Amino acid sequence: MEDMLEDTVLVNLRINGKLHELEIPAHKSLLDLLRDDLNMTGTHMGCMTGHCGACTVSIDGRVAKSCITLAATLGRAKITTIEGLTQDDGELSPVQQAFWDEAGFQCAFCAPGMLMCTTELLDANPDPSDAEIETALAGNLCRCTGYQSLRRAVKAAAKLKQNTREAAE
Amino acid sequence: MSLYPAFARPRDLGQAADIMGGLSTGAMIIAGGQEVMPSVNYGALMPEVYIDVGQISALKGIAEEDDGIHIGSSTVHRDVQDSEVIQSKIPLLSYAAAQIGGGMQVHNRGTIGGNIVSMHPLYDILPSLLALGAEFDVLRGDGETRVALADLMRDASHGLGSESLLVRIHLKPMTPGAGWSYEKLKITAGGYGSANAAAIVTLDGDKITSLRVVVGAVSALPIDISDALGGCRGQAWSDHLAEEIEEKASAEISEPLSDHQGDGDWRRAMAGVMARRAVEAAVEKAG
Ligand SMILES: Cc1cc2nc3c(=O)[nH]c(=O)nc-3n(C[C@@H](O)[C@@H](O)[C@H](O)COP(=O)(O)OP(=O)(O)OC[C@H]3O[C@@H](n4cnc5c(N)ncnc54)[C@H](O)[C@@H]3O)c2cc1C
Ligand code: FES
Ligand code: FES
Repeated sequence: MEDMLEDTVLVNLRINGKLHELEIPAHKSLLDLLRDDLNMTGTHMGCMTGHCGACTVSIDGRVAKSCITLAATLGRAKITTIEGLTQDDGELSPVQQAFWDEAGFQCAFCAPGMLMCTTELLDANPDPSDAEIETALAGNLCRCTGYQSLRRAVKAAAKLKQNTREAAE
Repeated sequence: MSLYPAFARPRDLGQAADIMGGLSTGAMIIAGGQEVMPSVNYGALMPEVYIDVGQISALKGIAEEDDGIHIGSSTVHRDVQDSEVIQSKIPLLSYAAAQIGGGMQVHNRGTIGGNIVSMHPLYDILPSLLALGAEFDVLRGDGETRVALADLMRDASHGLGSESLLVRIHLKPMTPGAGWSYEKLKITAGGYGSANAAAIVTLDGDKITSLRVVVGAVSALPIDISDALGGCRGQAWSDHLAEEIEEKASAEISEPLSDHQGDGDWRRAMAGVMARRAVEAAVEKAG
């Protein structure tokens, strides 16, 4: 049985397209791994208890709070952080562009959660209702905006994505 | 002993049983981590060994079998919500899973097994599972046993989370035509409930023929008040019946919780209100 216990754990994470083979201690959260070990500080720390959403990343295509994700459980996961949202040519993604155009944020501490959740929402549902937007953002606290500008930005992002799609057709 | 926890990744149920059997009390099963990690980060919990059950394929997936519907314990809330089988055969459960707080992020990683084993008074899954008569397969070092949720809740020595593993949940499809409801009283959209109730009702004409009601978030564990409401059978919905349900439900709460979600007297009163609303909504849906 003892031989089944590991003191450090080997994970092969593809983060924003780049493969990282990492030997990590069992107790490390994905948030600490990103910020402290990999210097990817775009993912924010607001609470460490899963409540604020500022640490949100996408794991295998689904948003997750990195502060309450044990990195050792991730094996070979594909992870996208806020740094990975920009397009290959360095331009902002349509979701980022819409939040910029609409002045969706004030301080933008909450940006990782808002942008990652909006990206996942619009990929699955190109034209969400107000209620669907609220459900999608429910795991994120914003201490500045009162949420109105965020909702406006999500709608603008939906429109921008649709225009981009139509232009490509 | 190391200062840091060790880690085990059993690949199948056999390895999991070996590991659980060979470890002492400091071991902790981790699934989505959505319950464990906040406690660890907060300093309230310090596991000596994490047993990561995420690699065990026997814990995954939802299947419809001859004897009912099986849900693997590692199934995340999002998949419970989205499953066509659960939406059509056990709609109460997919609805209750959607009422969990914490946002999409928690729905994407939190598992039904982790929710059950936490046995947290404010969580949203146990009341519906109790109303549905859920049974579980539980694995210990010496093999698998089938146990009803109602019995498990009375058994303080179940060892789930360290010495035993919740493998899967067994549920019967709901009776076609049964009405159901899950009511959650909450202060903020994504928050925990201050009182909740799950109800399942069948009707003959407008008369109630069967009724299951469980109230939660008002005491240490959810309380099945179906027997206390037995007198509702044979009656049609009326203002009088509504009052009777509210009174009887409140009277069943002998040791109400008193916490930041509200004080005990109010919680007891709200248990009645939730039970009444849940039965009313279920009656409306039945037929
Ligand atoms: C911000 C936030 C808000 C939340 N709001 C709600 C809410 O409104 N309603 C609600 O119901 N829940 C809520 N939750 C709780 C959420 O964590 C649970 O719903 C989730 O299901 C826990 O599952 P997990 O897989 O993440 O559990 P883990 O954290 O991995 O495990 C939880 C417990 O279960 C044990 N365990 C896990 N799997 C097994 C198994 N297969 N066999 C034996 N033991 C096992 C672990 O040892 C541990 O004791 C919230 C959580 C957060 C972070
Ligand atoms: S830091 Fe992760 S939810 Fe707040
Ligand atoms: S813009 Fe400041 S927290 Fe959201």
